[in-house]
Amino acid sequence: MSDPTRPVRKEETAGLMKYSAENLVPFGPIHPALKEPEYFKLILEGERIVEVIPRIGYVHRGLEKAAEMRPWVQNMYMFERTCGICSFVHSLTYGQAVEGLTIYETPRRAKFIRTIIAEMERIHSHLLWVGLMGHWAGFETLFMWVWRDREIVLDLVEAISGNRVHKSMNAFCGVRRDMPEGMEDRIVERMKFLVERANYYKEIVDTEETMLERTEGIGKISADMAEKLCAVGPMARYVGLRNDIRLTDPYAAYDEVPFDIVTRKEGDVHALLKLRLDELIVAANIVSYAVQHLPEGPIRVKIPPVIPAGENSSHSEAPRGEIFYYVKSSGGRTPDRVKSRQPTMANLPTALALLKGQTIADVPVVLTAIDPCFGCMDRMSFMDLESNRQWTWSGEQLRQYGIRHYFPERAKG
Amino acid sequence: MSEAFLQGIEKYAAETKATITQLRKGHTMVEVDQSKLKTFISRLVTDASIRQLSTITGLDLGQNIGIIYHFSHDRDTLHVKALIPKTQPTAESIVDIIPGAILYEMEIHDMLGITFSGNPWMDKKLLLPDTWPADLPPPLLKTSKPAEIRRRLGLEVEKK
Repeated sequence: MSDPTRPVRKEETAGLMKYSAENLVPFGPIHPALKEPEYFKLILEGERIVEVIPRIGYVHRGLEKAAEMRPWVQNMYMFERTCGICSFVHSLTYGQAVEGLTIYETPRRAKFIRTIIAEMERIHSHLLWVGLMGHWAGFETLFMWVWRDREIVLDLVEAISGNRVHKSMNAFCGVRRDMPEGMEDRIVERMKFLVERANYYKEIVDTEETMLERTEGIGKISADMAEKLCAVGPMARYVGLRNDIRLTDPYAAYDEVPFDIVTRKEGDVHALLKLRLDELIVAANIVSYAVQHLPEGPIRVKIPPVIPAGENSSHSEAPRGEIFYYVKSSGGRTPDRVKSRQPTMANLPTALALLKGQTIADVPVVLTAIDPCFGCMDRMSFMDLESNRQWTWSGEQLRQYGIRHYFPERAKG
Repeated sequence: MSEAFLQGIEKYAAETKATITQLRKGHTMVEVDQSKLKTFISRLVTDASIRQLSTITGLDLGQNIGIIYHFSHDRDTLHVKALIPKTQPTAESIVDIIPGAILYEMEIHDMLGITFSGNPWMDKKLLLPDTWPADLPPPLLKTSKPAEIRRRLGLEVEKK
């Protein structure tokens, strides 16, 4: 096996663009219903990846075009459906961008409720990711445990908003539902429990051989490179960049809640695991604080359906990094242009850089590391430069290959 | 926006004959000529060390296509805008200055048909389907109608 740490020489990748264009790898129909379809063409030299070409857009539904034909308020709930994990933060950011064009202010109580929901969403998203990481690394027990704990926070979200995933809590300049009475003690107690669990999982990922073997020293990148590739969220913080919108440009009630962001220096997948677990603890503390200090007052200001002409942008920190919205109004009932940029799009160049020089066995772990809304690796095609051979693997085949590569004795049949 | 920061921007803007507008607190819009766009952005990155490009927005403005580069710097957002005529939809790529811009440029190429010279992946599609007809206008232009796109791509739902 060739040494994965050896840097890729320039002459080795020369002419690859021509090569890949001439050899179109055939792949079958995509099934959006099963997992999120993304497609990466990996060009290999033996076991080692020398070039990665992404192809996304299989589930591109033209939301930005659709937004130009719908009323302002309807778009808020449409953009919420961009993602099935971090749904709330989409409507929050779009809402903030539109609110900036009006003269109305969001009441303080609404800002606190927004913070509580956003942080609960972060907890559920990070737990989901830690579980998936266990799944792809071949540690199913962790997956089962973590997803059980995730139910706790989903139940709380359901008790507040009425829904588990698409909360539809936001409105322009406020929220649609008030916090139910008598929830305070229950939330604080559950958050305490989640902090305990997060500390326990931190201990596990530090001592359990499976996780150490699969994650330590994998997916390394320098801070300078991550900055150049405009990495956001955890993918910037795991190399030590203090990149967090909650701190650098506070929105909602983050300027009134005491907290500090977590950064790490190591810059490998293991650091990402511990970083996300630490962030979970921070998020749980923010929720507890915000619930206990929830101010009294109205939760919403009604605004007219016509938004004054102008252009504005807003960004906020989703579980995966910065979400960015740009809106332009010409003073009508529908927007002129809405642009939305999701954190996975911003982190994709970093993921491509991380993959270069790794072996095939590390692909599931490295791609899941950026948390691409779902570790979706169905239909990965491979091309071996040395033997000129091409083949396609499903995500499950790739997962089994990774486990077989690291732990031959554990692989099934 | 902090004073020193704004003075720096004003200096680069004077060099490239750009106009500065304060949209609202924390949002500054710089409108720069298309030919000076790359010079201005490279000054921002190398001299003012504004590195975090949030995204690039493309929008249809009738005669022209506007491209806006959104930079985040602490509490400030800097929007750098340039107008590209629809008759000659080409712009210079900034991938050599900010490598993270590669996918954003591909996205605008797909959605509004602007070609970024210097971007190595301009020949590939990122978001549009492979079956997108070459003579169909890019989808985010105001003249492009969803019904027409559905018909040409064979996505029409039969009415009973």
